[in-house]
Amino acid sequence: MNALTERPTLPASSSDFDLLRRFEPVLRFTKGEQFYPMDVETYVRESSLWSHSPGGRDDLLVRQGDLDLGKLVEPRNAAFGTVHYLRFIEPLSLSEAARALTDQARLRSKLKNYFHAGLGRLARGGILPRLVDALFSASFLLRGRVPAASAAAAELAYFRIRRRTDSYTYYGRVTRQNGWVVLQYWFFYCYNSWRSGFNGVNDHESDWEVASVYLYEENGQLIPEWLAYASHDFKGDDLRRRWDDEDEIDFVDGHPVVYVGAGSHASYFRKGEYMAEVNLNLPDWIRRALNAWNKLWTETLGQQAVDPFRIPFVDYARGDGLSIGSGGTESWTPIQITESTPWVSQYRGLWGLFARDPISGENAPAGPMYNRDSSPRGTWYDPLGFAGLDKVPPPPEALTLLEKNCKEITVRQEKLKTLIPEKAGQLQSLGMKLKGMEGNPHLAKQYASLKKQKDSLVGEVRSLRLEHFENTALLQGLTGRLVRMKQGIQDDPRAHIDHLAVPVKTARMRFHHATQTWAAISQSVLLFGIVALMVLTPKYLIAGLLILTILIVAVESILRGAFVQTVGSITVFLAMVSALILLIHFWYWILIGVLLVTAFFLMAQRLREIE
Amino acid sequence: MEKNSRQRRKRPLAVTIVAWTILVMFFVRLYQVFEPLVLEGVFEHGMTEPLFEGGWLTSFGFALLTSAVYAVLSLTGIIVLIGFLRMKKWSWVVLMVWTGISLTITLFDYFYSETNYIIMASDTIVALALNQADVQRIFGIRTDPGERLD
Repeated sequence: MNALTERPTLPASSSDFDLLRRFEPVLRFTKGEQFYPMDVETYVRESSLWSHSPGGRDDLLVRQGDLDLGKLVEPRNAAFGTVHYLRFIEPLSLSEAARALTDQARLRSKLKNYFHAGLGRLARGGILPRLVDALFSASFLLRGRVPAASAAAAELAYFRIRRRTDSYTYYGRVTRQNGWVVLQYWFFYCYNSWRSGFNGVNDHESDWEVASVYLYEENGQLIPEWLAYASHDFKGDDLRRRWDDEDEIDFVDGHPVVYVGAGSHASYFRKGEYMAEVNLNLPDWIRRALNAWNKLWTETLGQQAVDPFRIPFVDYARGDGLSIGSGGTESWTPIQITESTPWVSQYRGLWGLFARDPISGENAPAGPMYNRDSSPRGTWYDPLGFAGLDKVPPPPEALTLLEKNCKEITVRQEKLKTLIPEKAGQLQSLGMKLKGMEGNPHLAKQYASLKKQKDSLVGEVRSLRLEHFENTALLQGLTGRLVRMKQGIQDDPRAHIDHLAVPVKTARMRFHHATQTWAAISQSVLLFGIVALMVLTPKYLIAGLLILTILIVAVESILRGAFVQTVGSITVFLAMVSALILLIHFWYWILIGVLLVTAFFLMAQRLREIE
Repeated sequence: MEKNSRQRRKRPLAVTIVAWTILVMFFVRLYQVFEPLVLEGVFEHGMTEPLFEGGWLTSFGFALLTSAVYAVLSLTGIIVLIGFLRMKKWSWVVLMVWTGISLTITLFDYFYSETNYIIMASDTIVALALNQADVQRIFGIRTDPGERLD
């Protein structure tokens, strides 16, 4: 029995709701997660609606307790640039914030819902990314951000909601495009606590995530072929896995498993810990200079590439916490949505606090149908393009399309077989005519005209021959594929993936706790050292800084088990600086040396020729 | 088995250059061992002066200490040379660390006092020679082209 026959199927006549239920995923969370998929109705009832005008003013439109889905979608006139947004957590006073944080600690203790980071992200990156990370953290002082106690207040509010209605909701949508039946499962969370709860990149109120299943019809049955989960840094083909790729996908009773990132709610096919790197947007000239240095550093000097502007973050998708769906501890409450569901199509605002973060990481997302700027969301209107499937026909159609392609090319080849000799014959005839006209000055005009015709025909014959040659090669390739498809031989299930999300291995760290501690304190040690140098030996500040940096890097390299590599890199770097100094001071003598060596080399070469 | 095959491999030119540099430096250090002793007349008159006076080194004591330091350095140099010629990994590491420290001191001198350009040039050559891919491979620092060093 092959993987294809093991796939769950449903009759093509099944209702959309039945389809959604049959293929609904199982969500597995990481221990310590505080927020799970919930229904939007409850969330909206717990929120207030606001508008942020282009002038910077925030106005309360509907207060908490008065809002529901009906009021949310009421038409509202607003100036261009106005942002409508919900607010789940109202602004907290200092005492309220302190109480929220205390109550949060009590709640976690009561539920025993603790998260253990293990080897933290700081220990996984080098010292340079850690320094840039410190600057990144400091940037929150200037950027808009979700207030620190909001996560705690949101956790408490969500806990109260769960106590009232302990249900877990997904919003299912069924759409049909280009022969594919697309099942989209939208999950709504009231808060993204990646930064505050799991040392991640950002926090924001509300979170929308999506997982999609792509089915095709064959013999009256709908068969699942692809799965696509939304995830950081990945897009198109990289998001997609084939249903029979058992090494990549876990199933429970024919339901695919999604491992959910702690706090971030990003979706992964395999459980584990994923490095998510944030690449800082640098001015072009800095990026170009860094690339040039890296080229010299890696290609000429054989060292490892350095990019301190990529900050490492860990997305924990361990799957050791709550499990929702088939075989899990909790079950789903499914709700079907379409383009005509009012809150989906008519509310274009944000589903949580507009934090005024210019790079948007802390602003709440918009709904399933829209981006933050109210433009249509690609995942909604182009679910095939979202997973790179727009160029892929469903399997039964693939064979027909391929046969059609082969047939078209074969017909063209037959035509070329008669067309090429015909044109080549015309060309020869023209050539003979031209030869006959040579030496007759009175035929100069006709000669020139015929020569033009001949030149054009030369080009035409050449391009026809090239087309025939290329078609032969193309036909060979297509026929080979056709044969393989007829034999039922499938492509490698991961042939379409450029970048595969792979959980990181943490076994490399030799001194686990020391590395963790060092990662936490190294920046402060550096700063204390700088202060000590400034106070004690201001005269030797630069030299002291150099030595201090080398010492810190040496300790780092020993802990990371990369001492030899680091020593090599530092010494080569110092040698480059020395070489530059020597070049500046002795360029004249170096030039003389180069000229002498060249002269001797050329002399030796030439004398060898004489011999 | 692996050691034998490593030793049978042809020694890269860069290794020979570095080995000669170490040898030259050994003789320089050796000269520096005897120079203070000769100047203080130790070989003619023996150790006639005190080493300490009032808890501090005398000029004679300082000369002896300098000589001893250079003796240790030259001895270390010759041990590293033997390891280097036998293509031991540790000798590559010691030499790279040594060169790194020496370059740091040379650059420190360049910015704050007067530097010795000959030492700067020789250290630069040694560092770049040790960094050659074939040298690293022969010492077992790099096992394959493009592979991570460790």
